[in-house]
Amino acid sequence: MSEQKVTFRVFRYKQGDTAPHYDTFTVTVNERTTVLEALQAIRRDQDGTLVIRHSCHHASCGTCGMRVNGKEVLACVTNVLELGTPTVTVEPLQNAPLISDLVVDMGPFYETFSQAHLPFVRRSEYLPDAEVAEGVPFHMRFESCIECGLCVSACPVVASDAEYLGPAALAAVWRVVQEPRGTEVPPLLDWVNSEHGCWRCHVALECSEVCPSNVDPGGNIMALRQELVRRALGLSRG
Amino acid sequence: MLQETRVLHPVRRRGWKGWFAVRKRHLGYVAFALNRLTGLGLVLYLIIHLVVLSLLARGPETWDAFIELAKSPAFLLLDVILLAGILFHGLNGLRVILVGLGIGVHRHKELFWGLMLLAAILLIFGAWGFLVV
Amino acid sequence: MKGNGIQGISGAVRWLLQAVSGLLLIVLLGVHMIANHYIAAGGLRTYEEVVAYLSHPVVLAWEVIFLIIVTFHAVLGVRSVLYDLGLSPGTQRRLDRLVGLVGIGAVLYGLWLLWAIT
Repeated sequence: MSEQKVTFRVFRYKQGDTAPHYDTFTVTVNERTTVLEALQAIRRDQDGTLVIRHSCHHASCGTCGMRVNGKEVLACVTNVLELGTPTVTVEPLQNAPLISDLVVDMGPFYETFSQAHLPFVRRSEYLPDAEVAEGVPFHMRFESCIECGLCVSACPVVASDAEYLGPAALAAVWRVVQEPRGTEVPPLLDWVNSEHGCWRCHVALECSEVCPSNVDPGGNIMALRQELVRRALGLSRG
Repeated sequence: MLQETRVLHPVRRRGWKGWFAVRKRHLGYVAFALNRLTGLGLVLYLIIHLVVLSLLARGPETWDAFIELAKSPAFLLLDVILLAGILFHGLNGLRVILVGLGIGVHRHKELFWGLMLLAAILLIFGAWGFLVV
Repeated sequence: MKGNGIQGISGAVRWLLQAVSGLLLIVLLGVHMIANHYIAAGGLRTYEEVVAYLSHPVVLAWEVIFLIIVTFHAVLGVRSVLYDLGLSPGTQRRLDRLVGLVGIGAVLYGLWLLWAIT
């Protein structure tokens, strides 16, 4: 495996700083090195005060969301050399309270998301013909959304409107409308039909571009709007 | 505890500047930024246009003098820019309506380019109409 | 959310009104531009030509409807852009009143101007 030195420009901020700054590190990488691995190497070998957060290392948990060269990604599956730039800029997610360096407070995200009643599972569309075990009506799977917050960081409306519900929560509401699973749908529809709900989306669709998990939050929001319009016109069961 | 710590943690939000922060963003974001820019530009134009029309109330001499001015090359160039803004906002607006209702969501980029092709054709015809007459 | 004025309408209806007015404008503005700048000799009308143009009832009606719809779309559009800044409820109410007044004012001004020259 050939190795190469890459420069990392890393956003740094500690509580009490008047402003953030960037630190530069040089890391030796190979064809398989990911941004997360490079950051861990920096923390281990060069600067133990670098604060990063991760868990699964394989794009399932959503913990390592950050901005690499200006774009929201999961650092654990972002290959350094494939970025193609001699310097890699690493910054935390936008639109979230900054705790330290590359770690943001996901509390507000979860607060909003939980008001969408946390749809976590759904009927699996991948196994329609498979035999189910006795007593099981059909196969289920986990929802694709891993609550990583990349969509919320990328959204231009979240950037200016702190009360906008945001793509993650709105997409979650659509999933509840698709499969209520006992949740009351009308109050949720009222919640998203509000001034800072799904009508504040301006179809930038950047959320769907950055989503690492095939959630297509933009598409979900449009489907939600279509449903709301149908109900407003009396074309759908209300 | 969490409530207290959140107060000390600044939220990095770009505000309205985020609407135009298109670096590294994809087509939909750029289209949004341009729609917003052209929309605000057209509102400004509307205000100017309505104010200019008040010259009509001042009678033929005042109005006709303005009309002579409006035939100058500088004005005509501005008119072409205006037409470009109108065509972009109107045709991209059509896309926003369709996609916003869940139609063509997953082909929104093709829809964009198709409508922009139409806009370019109309702009060429329209500008030729301004400049040749 | 039940309330007065613009906020009393649901988000879906407001969006639909903006969409419908936008679609209407494609036609209203299209005809307005063709009639005023392409059919008119020289692309611009002199005072006499303006008065003659507006003497046709259909033309006058078209321009009035155009004025109302374009003002509506512009006002609702600006309101939406400002709401994106995340305004407090008090500011929202004041803004709604302001844009409403500006919109009505613009239409009244246009109607006055049309009356003054015809």
